[in-house]
Amino acid sequence: MRVSRGVGVLALAIASLFSQSGCATLGQTWDDWFGEMKLPDFPAFDEYTESPKSYVEIALEHDFLVRVKPWERSVLARHDMAWDPDELEAARRSHTFFSKEATMPGGSAGGGGCGCN
Amino acid sequence: MRRSRRERRRERATLRALTSSALALFGAAGRASADTAIDHIETSYSFSTYSEDKLESSKTLPGGERTRYEISTQQASLAAPITDWFDMSMQLTHETMSGASPWYNTQDAAGTPIQIMSGATIQDTRNDLALHGNYYTEQGRLGFGGGYSTENDYTAMNFGTDGELHFNEKNTTLSGGLGLSLDTLTPTDSDLYPLRPKEESKQSYSTFVGLGQIINRRSLIQGSFSYKWDKGYLSDPYKEVFRIGDHHYGDDRGGSRHQFAFLVRYNRHIEETESTIHLSYQYYLDTWGVSSHMAELDWYQNFGDAIQIAPHVRYYSQTAADFYIPYLRLKQIPQPGTRMSSDYRLSAYGALSFGVKGEYAFHTPWFRDIEWRAHLSVERYLSSGDLSLSAVSVPAPGLVSFTVLSAGLAVVF
Repeated sequence: MRVSRGVGVLALAIASLFSQSGCATLGQTWDDWFGEMKLPDFPAFDEYTESPKSYVEIALEHDFLVRVKPWERSVLARHDMAWDPDELEAARRSHTFFSKEATMPGGSAGGGGCGCN
Repeated sequence: MRRSRRERRRERATLRALTSSALALFGAAGRASADTAIDHIETSYSFSTYSEDKLESSKTLPGGERTRYEISTQQASLAAPITDWFDMSMQLTHETMSGASPWYNTQDAAGTPIQIMSGATIQDTRNDLALHGNYYTEQGRLGFGGGYSTENDYTAMNFGTDGELHFNEKNTTLSGGLGLSLDTLTPTDSDLYPLRPKEESKQSYSTFVGLGQIINRRSLIQGSFSYKWDKGYLSDPYKEVFRIGDHHYGDDRGGSRHQFAFLVRYNRHIEETESTIHLSYQYYLDTWGVSSHMAELDWYQNFGDAIQIAPHVRYYSQTAADFYIPYLRLKQIPQPGTRMSSDYRLSAYGALSFGVKGEYAFHTPWFRDIEWRAHLSVERYLSSGDLSLSAVSVPAPGLVSFTVLSAGLAVVF
């Protein structure tokens, strides 16, 4: 009795070890695992050779243009990936160059004028 | 366990990224990822001093005024979410300016143009208020804003609207805007200087259209085209053209100027070294005959989460306006209504500027939810005929070099 309880505890310990290590065979079968994945539907060969569509249309239709998914955008959302990470500095520099050079800053509309000596 | 503010902010940034195109183009606050309203209040303050180098003694008359302009600038901004789909931002600028500024050119014994400065009597302050609001939808953003800037001798009012439209699963963003500025000039001492007008006005109409594209998960590119039409009094009331033999003419630039600018910007993050590169190039052209190239590289180097060192270098080169003339010779008598200006800013030259900014992000033991970001920066600007892309035979004597020092603090609640 005491031995079998010991075996039970050991089995539980091993089971918890495996479940923590992410072993998928415990609790879930391999079939389920792959069942959730959706394989892309590759177009039939004929579609390339016989379709009257342009390559751009085909590319768009089959998602061949690289698109960055929303969950892949953590780098793009970084503070230093903003066009102007420091808005006050950007405004001040833009105003300085505007008043000392004969060029308007591109990429925006409007903005205040100045006497600018 | 209590998570640090930084960790939570990172999570929020990731969460924002989930719903964002990370491609906002020119929002009021200049944010990058903006297809949702901002989710926290952010306020910042910055103080900077701008000081121009003394004019070289060889470039003016012996004993002439050589000191130039000094400006101290204070800026404050506040951006806040109003609802989930609407945010507003405000920027205040207060500047005090003093010193002397280029007045007209004459020639030295060798016939080289030299600069005559106004007396160092200019004292002016500029106050500027700009407001901007953004309304966000699933597909884009609609912004509107206005500003008011006032000096002793200059008042400008501007209104604008801008927007963005996302498509291609928010990988591509089309942006555009319209702007209008109504300016009034009331030059000082117009009773003492008969060439200065009493009161004049100027209107500017501007528009831009841009296209941004996410290239991959660490780089973005954006191209834009801007157009502006200036109309009205475009001359500088404080500058004159001198004809050898003691005759002065007022600065006259005509009543219209069409300006075109093509700007390309590229941002890339390098994860291995924790750095971000910003590259930009602008080609500019106008109907005064000025064309220019501008290229800039900004390097944001992060050292952990707290410290960022950002050096930058910028190169600029322009051609002269058709009517730029340092001075008129004795027998060069202009027809009435001839456009002419001795302004060094309309001459051909090149400029190189470089600087570095250090930023430190920290939390205090109290109010741990608040993030502070302090920065210090310095920038040096040098301009000369030698730096120009095209050869300049007689560079303007008044070309300016200056230094800007800045310190600031931003608080994110």
